[in-house]
Amino acid sequence: MSIVTVQLGQCGNQIGREVFNAICSDVHGTHGLCSKKENESYRDACKERFFCEEETEVPVARAVLVDMEPKVISQTLSMAARSGYWKYDDRSRFCQKQGSGNNWANGYSVHGPRHKEVIMNLVQKEAEKCDRLGGFFTIMSMAGGTGSGLGAFVTQCLRDAFPTSFILNHVIWPYGTGEVIVQNYNSVLTLSHLYQSSDAILVHENDVIHKICSQLMNIKQISFRDVNQVIAHQLGSVFQPTYTAEGGLHYSRNPLGDLMETLVPHPEFKMLGLRNIPQMPENSLAYSTFSWPGLIKHLRQMLIANAKMEEGIDWQVQPPSRLLPPLQPFPNRPLHFNTSIANLVILRGKDTHGVDLGSFQDPSLYTSWLNPRDAFNAWKTPRAFNKYEKSASLVSNSQFLLKPLDNVVGKAWNMFASKAYIHQYTKFGIEEEDFLDSFTALEQVISSYTIL
Amino acid sequence: MGQYKEVFHPLPPVLYQLLIKTIYSVLFSIIFFFSDNQIRFVKSVLWYHGYDRPELYRLPSDGSAGSRELLLAFSWLLHRLSLLEQLLARNRVKTGDQTSVQKAITEIAPEYGLEDRVDVRYLQWLNGRLRFQWRSLHAQHQELCKLLHKIHVFTSGSHMDQILGHFSVTETDLVRQPENYKQLLQLLESETMQLEAFLEWKQLEPVYWQWMVMNQTDFERCSFLDSNIYHTLFFSFPFFLFSLQVKTGGEDLQTEEFSVAARKIQESVELKLLDLTYLCAEKKNKMHGSCRLVFRSKHPASKTGFERSIFKEHVSAVSATEVIRELQMREASLDRELKQLREECRQRLDKIAEGLDGVICISP
Repeated sequence: MSIVTVQLGQCGNQIGREVFNAICSDVHGTHGLCSKKENESYRDACKERFFCEEETEVPVARAVLVDMEPKVISQTLSMAARSGYWKYDDRSRFCQKQGSGNNWANGYSVHGPRHKEVIMNLVQKEAEKCDRLGGFFTIMSMAGGTGSGLGAFVTQCLRDAFPTSFILNHVIWPYGTGEVIVQNYNSVLTLSHLYQSSDAILVHENDVIHKICSQLMNIKQISFRDVNQVIAHQLGSVFQPTYTAEGGLHYSRNPLGDLMETLVPHPEFKMLGLRNIPQMPENSLAYSTFSWPGLIKHLRQMLIANAKMEEGIDWQVQPPSRLLPPLQPFPNRPLHFNTSIANLVILRGKDTHGVDLGSFQDPSLYTSWLNPRDAFNAWKTPRAFNKYEKSASLVSNSQFLLKPLDNVVGKAWNMFASKAYIHQYTKFGIEEEDFLDSFTALEQVISSYTIL
Repeated sequence: MGQYKEVFHPLPPVLYQLLIKTIYSVLFSIIFFFSDNQIRFVKSVLWYHGYDRPELYRLPSDGSAGSRELLLAFSWLLHRLSLLEQLLARNRVKTGDQTSVQKAITEIAPEYGLEDRVDVRYLQWLNGRLRFQWRSLHAQHQELCKLLHKIHVFTSGSHMDQILGHFSVTETDLVRQPENYKQLLQLLESETMQLEAFLEWKQLEPVYWQWMVMNQTDFERCSFLDSNIYHTLFFSFPFFLFSLQVKTGGEDLQTEEFSVAARKIQESVELKLLDLTYLCAEKKNKMHGSCRLVFRSKHPASKTGFERSIFKEHVSAVSATEVIRELQMREASLDRELKQLREECRQRLDKIAEGLDGVICISP
């Protein structure tokens, strides 16, 4: 079962390349820490998912590259080919001569419709190459021009053309003090449009990843490449093959479907956050040992306290005690406690079979209308990922993104109230009403997540 | 008649076993050990299939009595569900190319009372899961079709049967792993034996029914005349009534009541016959149930179907385009129905919202 990746804009293309890099180097690495047979199954499952096997050449990534400028795409293509382990299909790309100038409306209303047929043809070709299409994975930034506007439009086209496929949008949340003045407008428009066509929106916040790079990875001069590599590692830890059922004999052939089913069946709640531990510089790995109880404990507290990484966790935050019958909401819930709808924990490496995940099945972690049996799932594999002897990831549909979302919508609304920069959008056909619709939609999402 | 009672006495457990084995092998695929749970199970399955003779359900649950009732129930199942035909169909050697076409069944959704203990968000959650599972299933089906297509295309022109033209999945697998031919041969031989046994049974069948008539006709006449069990038997075996009359001719049964009842039965049988002819005419060209996919390169994507029953001598073929068109029409009508229901719901919500102060209703 294969996933077709759509890399949108500069951000999307650069991250996409790092993701395929991370996956490929993981597969070819010798740190699997498992039997040869297991390693082979893992490799085969991974290949089916992300690559197309050509006869004599290196595997070709199942991806479509879209950008308005040619520079980033050519860079991406050549860097991939240079690795020697994998490459992109040269024909699977679309770019134009000029950019869209960070203008969401330009990307959505002008470039999108203009180039829809060409782009969708590329996607269709990739989809047909798959024996079984497992869904689409798009990568884009939320706040830029091409990535966000065009990306929102392309997602809509994907939904129209493939009504029964799974669509997962990976979006990069911009730096709070970002450079683009209208980034909040772009974010609001992107999110509200994605919410309609996508099945799930998986978010990485630039600020958070930046902190991980500086505090955990000890990188002094943080480049975009460093940030992208951390993101790629986290994504790889979710999408590399796993056994999704206890005692399963085969690696799951339906990762997107399984993910959607466990986390986002409710159409109101599509925002997913991602946490991965441990994270450390590669050269420290040899000197570190990890224990599953320790990792699980940290991961759980990260969930409850909404911590972005394993350092600086607030251990004071605790779940409320269960004094009330199950169907009542928790009125005495502490304000900074992160309530979850559903959680997925993915364990990779040594001794995963014996890990006790009972602490994640505590009903007080979850909203009142869902019991842990429905809300919590765990995927495992004995095959270690990317040289980490043990690694645990958490994909969470919870209030992780409530505050950032509220922030962005608030700032955008303040700008909108004074009609600042609106003309840039109305110029290309995005009217004030469209803005209002977007605000309404996101307010609804905020409200739904708040009253959990 | 008394003699029969004595002879049958040790038979109930055996008959239960027979019923159970039949039910299990045809309707399920589980093997059990005999227990009183099974008696309840047998009764519930019969009930589910519409067997409405109360005497059977009054049988003791230790399996000690009731051979006559069980025999009747077995015969009813035999006829009603076409048990043997189903067994044969189930045990057929698979070609691997099967698919099934189901006619959509219109069921009226039962009215559920509002359960105020269930959060609507949980229902939405479950609905979403169902939707996603359906999508995964859909993707699996598409993959199956794609791979089947590959096999058909690659092997076209190789089959001995010119009409078919290409290999089935089973045949292709045999080419890949020739050492499996022994297994396949065994399966084919056992299927042939079953078919031969079936043909033999068909020849002896009238004897069985006559024997059934003989040991069933010393019953309370009222209940048997009203029961639809006997309607079913009458319907397929008109000589049942004749033999009944012959059998009971010796006794003084030519009462007014009896002839009235007999006429009633005759009329209902004729009505059912009419019904069936009408249904048959309607369904003549429609596919239902299992069929085999055959690839035709001249007419893109057409299907040839084999009837499930082995009685038909000719092969009825339906093209995929026909089936698709029919399903699309069905889909369109269901879509319209859904839209209509949604509109009604929306109007109801709007009316409610009007009555509330300060509330804006935003419909999805």
